[in-house]
Amino acid sequence: MDEVTEQQAEQNNQPSYWTSVGIAGVIFGIIVFALSLVTSYAMINSEPSGSLFSPVQLLGIFVCLVGAFGGMLATWHYANEYNISIKLGKGALIGLFTGICITVVYIVFNQIWQFIDPDMTQKAIDSVIANFEASDLPDAQKQQMIDSTVQSMRGQNSIGTQLLYNLPMYGILNVFTGMIGAKVFGKQEG
Amino acid sequence: MQIRQPILYGLVFILVLILVLVAIGGGLFNQSARWPVQWQHQAFNSLCHQMANRSFWINGQPMAVCSRCIGVYSGFALGWMLLPMLSLIRITRLAHIKKVLVVILLFNFIDAAGNLLGLWQNTLFSRAILGGMLGSSAALIFVGDFFHHN
Repeated sequence: MDEVTEQQAEQNNQPSYWTSVGIAGVIFGIIVFALSLVTSYAMINSEPSGSLFSPVQLLGIFVCLVGAFGGMLATWHYANEYNISIKLGKGALIGLFTGICITVVYIVFNQIWQFIDPDMTQKAIDSVIANFEASDLPDAQKQQMIDSTVQSMRGQNSIGTQLLYNLPMYGILNVFTGMIGAKVFGKQEG
Repeated sequence: MQIRQPILYGLVFILVLILVLVAIGGGLFNQSARWPVQWQHQAFNSLCHQMANRSFWINGQPMAVCSRCIGVYSGFALGWMLLPMLSLIRITRLAHIKKVLVVILLFNFIDAAGNLLGLWQNTLFSRAILGGMLGSSAALIFVGDFFHHN
């Protein structure tokens, strides 16, 4: 019984992780937003090649999964700041909150950008259509691809859709990286 | 064998399986909707470039993530599933796995950079294997954390 009380007291004495969550969430939210912006404008400004996938998308090869590393940064900051060990469950929790924070920051910046450049989505859609038009696909298939891609791009703009997809995805992936961060960066006990 | 934190182990197990199933995309269920509008593709939209010519195809549809990403997810899932067995043979020390993880991460960057600069041409399978090594080594960090043999 005393041991349980001691553990609870130890838990209560642990410093708050919200600063680490906030810092990592904002940094990675901005990175994810900036990368999506760069990709969008690169697509808008590229000449239609007729290829289904333009060379600018190759930039994306380096940004795969980048938003998943927020949990690792948060746990690194938390462990570094207070020089403490982090339990795996706590690392997972820090990762989950960081993932939520990344999503919120990304959506907020996205919405702000809609005011700065309201035509961006339409220009991106026009660029995609021009690219499909220049392709060698049969007309029926070309039209189907244009319709579905345009529908998908329009849908991605709403806050609801962004929350629906990004919240669980960034949440889950950052749970994993939060745990990895807790294991790698937390002070080893014993 | 002692099991520590079974709820956390089980939760991650379920989440990573769900992630792999979603990442495989609509082809697995032979969905009729065109792949750009499938919910699996929308879900991974901001996490992966999703270039169809750099992804595996199932039933005439590309997976929702590229070959390297599916390698990472499935490698992590496989590593996680093998944790009980790996803790039995005590193959690892954390310091070694950390180094292996960093080396494999570097290999992935070098592979992507070399391909981008035209130094070599990687393939679907080479990317998937490198991604799989990254995912499984990330899972192996947890050997001994959830299962303990006396």
